Amino acid sequence: MRASYFHIASLLIVAVGVTLIVFIYSTQPKNLAEIATKSSVAIGTYEIDRAEFANGLAAFRRDEFGSARAAFDRADPEKRDAATQFYIAYSFYRQGWGRISNDNDLFAKGLSATERVLQLDPNYRSADTELGLKTPTELKAEFEDGLKVTVSDFNPLKLTRERK
Amino acid sequence: MTEDEIVRSEDLVEASDSLELSKTKSGLSETEVRRYVRLYVMLPIIFLLVTLFGGMRFAATDNAFLFLPPPLICLIFGAVTIFLIFRARLIEFESWFNEENPVLENVANAGMILLIFAASTQVYNLLLPERGLASWIVTALFIWTLWNDIFVDFDQKKLLRSLAGLFAIAFVTKYLVLANLAVKNDASWLQRIFENPGKEAATWFLDLPVYAPATGYLQFFTILLFLFGLYLTPRAGNAKKLSA
Repeated sequence: MRASYFHIASLLIVAVGVTLIVFIYSTQPKNLAEIATKSSVAIGTYEIDRAEFANGLAAFRRDEFGSARAAFDRADPEKRDAATQFYIAYSFYRQGWGRISNDNDLFAKGLSATERVLQLDPNYRSADTELGLKTPTELKAEFEDGLKVTVSDFNPLKLTRERK
Repeated sequence: MTEDEIVRSEDLVEASDSLELSKTKSGLSETEVRRYVRLYVMLPIIFLLVTLFGGMRFAATDNAFLFLPPPLICLIFGAVTIFLIFRARLIEFESWFNEENPVLENVANAGMILLIFAASTQVYNLLLPERGLASWIVTALFIWTLWNDIFVDFDQKKLLRSLAGLFAIAFVTKYLVLANLAVKNDASWLQRIFENPGKEAATWFLDLPVYAPATGYLQFFTILLFLFGLYLTPRAGNAKKLSA
């Protein structure tokens, strides 16, 4: 064995170790599972948990929005999947929507989730036929409209509108 | 020269030749391999572990990992420590970096020095209280001690003893004295004041962060690992220089 092999091995250990430490300190994982998830994001192999996504979707269809969001969060812990984040935002819309008045807190959370979808994929379009709003832009407009107090809010015909 | 002496001399030459042959077959003798494994494999791993664990804490509430990057003052302390290591000849600079050495060896040695610097920076990161009055006081004491150390004539053993003593007292201060002053329970603010006004006042006055007990255990072994790494670090980077 030649001395240069040891020098190369040492340089490799230093490079890999320093990269790993910089990665850990910059991503701040909270536990070992998060280290694995964040590593998969970094190397581009991150995927959502399909089973949890299906659970979340089923709960979403049953109008159990709290449990739907919990399942979506488990499915996409790193908040990297536009479809999952779109459903999270949509769940805030459906839960916060009211015939007379909307829940401003839920709408504000929904708006922030929608902006996350726009950051992830500005051209995202949902293929779900049950959703009235197909794109994050439409959803964002709905949230912004719902958070504003305008003269049209006092229009009695507003009581006839339907949740999308 | 007598007959016996000639025979012995021939035996020695033969043995020397066979040793040389076994060395050239593999490139390095077994002693050299062990030395290289220590210097270029074990020590980088030790100092990388110290660098990783030095900024690690466990949250008091849920034991979640917290990774605190070192403040600027720790980098200065790390640089002073490297200076002291060179000055006390714990590492012989001219042997670790020499234009007679192959470039690869010099680069590998530079990587090792970088790791020792990173590890010593993180050791100060783990020893300094994170914020508040205690942080200012301990930082001032470190500055005072390291500034004095710069002008002291050290040898390797004295430097290691001095660093071990400095780290031990700082560890006791942070993880035994100050950690016990900080309030850890989940009771309300008013309840804590009634139950333990002294601790509550110290926590507020010193602005002490509260961590899980596992933090102290991890940091204790991190300091030991760092000192063990320094102890294992050879004075000369090149074995030939050492024998010369």
